[in-house]
Amino acid sequence: MSVIDFRDASVARGGRLIWREANLTVEPGSISVVLGPNGAGKSTLLEAVLGLVPLSHGSLRVFDEPPARGNARVGYLPQTRRDHDLRISAREYVGLGFDGTRFGWGRDTSTKTRAVRDALALAGATAFADRPLYALSGGQRQRVALAHASVFRPALLLLDEPLAALDLAAQGEIVDLINLFRDTTGAAVVVVAHDLNPLAPIVDQVLWIARRQVRSGPLDDVVNEAVLSELYGHAIEIVVTPRGRRVIVGLEEEFAHPHPHPHPPTGSRARTTAGRVGDHADEEAHAHFAEYFEGDA
Amino acid sequence: MSLSFLLSLAFVQHAFYAVTAVSIASGAVGYFVVLRRQAFAAHAIGHVGFAGAAGAVLLGLSPVVGLLGFCLLAGVLIGLGGATLSDRDAVVGVTLTAALGLGVLFISLYSGYADATYSILFGQILGVTWGDVILVAGVSLVVVAALSLIYRPLLFVSVDPSSAQARGLSERTLSLIFMSLLALTTVVAIQIVGVLLVFSLLVAPAAAAEQLTNRPWRALALSGAIALVSSWLGLFFAVWWGGPVSFWITALVSGTYVGARGRDAWRARQRATRVA
Repeated sequence: MSVIDFRDASVARGGRLIWREANLTVEPGSISVVLGPNGAGKSTLLEAVLGLVPLSHGSLRVFDEPPARGNARVGYLPQTRRDHDLRISAREYVGLGFDGTRFGWGRDTSTKTRAVRDALALAGATAFADRPLYALSGGQRQRVALAHASVFRPALLLLDEPLAALDLAAQGEIVDLINLFRDTTGAAVVVVAHDLNPLAPIVDQVLWIARRQVRSGPLDDVVNEAVLSELYGHAIEIVVTPRGRRVIVGLEEEFAHPHPHPHPPTGSRARTTAGRVGDHADEEAHAHFAEYFEGDA
Repeated sequence: MSLSFLLSLAFVQHAFYAVTAVSIASGAVGYFVVLRRQAFAAHAIGHVGFAGAAGAVLLGLSPVVGLLGFCLLAGVLIGLGGATLSDRDAVVGVTLTAALGLGVLFISLYSGYADATYSILFGQILGVTWGDVILVAGVSLVVVAALSLIYRPLLFVSVDPSSAQARGLSERTLSLIFMSLLALTTVVAIQIVGVLLVFSLLVAPAAAAEQLTNRPWRALALSGAIALVSSWLGLFFAVWWGGPVSFWITALVSGTYVGARGRDAWRARQRATRVA
């Protein structure tokens, strides 16, 4: 039984198609990396699995059931959090991951205390577990957030950009941690990322989303010039450095149109724009013009 | 005039009972106000309550009726808020403005004695009746009981809304319940310290408590304790030395906050010297 099974699945948000006809599975104990341009719908894929966003077409099974919010077998690390701003200790925060959905005051039972301690230990966060979250470094907070998302031992862990805003050393530590978590618990892990290289050593499957399409398979079956060129609709080149890091050239052409607006789109605007990626580069450029014209009118 | 004589007076006893109930409820609710960064919403609800009270007085009703109606309505509107932080801020601002406008209208239409208005703005703790005490205690009890029930989900959704939603909690429902509890607490806190000083019980004790511990339930209990002790002492000083009760309470909670910040800064410096 697959952990996740998308069949002919399409997702639309606000009447706009995000991606369509995705066919992919995620197997137990595997690590999948979701790649693609900003706004292509990587986070949306996780949200569909979580039952937060419905499919507009096709089917999705999570542990052979329809996706539903509050699935006790699914752990989730969201991209936007407010842990940099909290005076709560790491241990308390991880504790909320264990029993935060239950009513009443709750007591620190021995089961909870042990689960929290184990999750913090596995994440390598024991040394700073009693410090407030705001006082931790980005890498330390990411470890705590991983413990928070996995403290109830989910069989599927969804991580949205766990490497964002970390330096290379911290990225490497988190990648090792993801691998350790998979090996220790046997859970399947799906990681949304914007850079393949730090994750390449541990990845079993790549899901690449661009131009409303999703390609999936082993790393070399997806991240090769033929597949990516076809997916993006123009020539993509892949250069492998002597140390085995891939430099993928040509992805940025999708966004290389001159902007008619004096300020480049940022934040949600950029997501909206990218979500409208057309079938041809020219259409995309027209979409830019149309959107800004509407916006300024 | 002896202390035992002062404490035997019925109005002083009523005041002590009322502040005890209000302080515990506001301290506890205040922890979530500070945690959820909703000080502006708390501020707005108090001022909306002023308009409600003025309207009730105009209609010849008890000010508490107007307070309750307007505060709850404002709480629900603010709780529905919007998807983004700026939406929510704007909803608070517009609700506040609209209500204050109504308040101005009601006062201009009211030709009677303005004493009721003054006591709503600055509190009337030494004027509470036995009936007020029962109302205040009952509402505080409801607030504390409801907060105990939703404590963990509310904490979860406050510190990590995205993952709490994914785990099946409804941010909107919890936010609505919380804003209603905040509105109820504001109504009773206004009885004690008045609209203008409602922050002294709703924000300052919780802000001080947050500086002193990084465990949520301790911060919540400490917040209630700071509010309670400050209110008791404030009431005592006012009866013994004179001066408005509201002044003493605000002075004490603000002093506690400054002290807590000072302690935090001092400890940070200690750590820095130890490392160096």
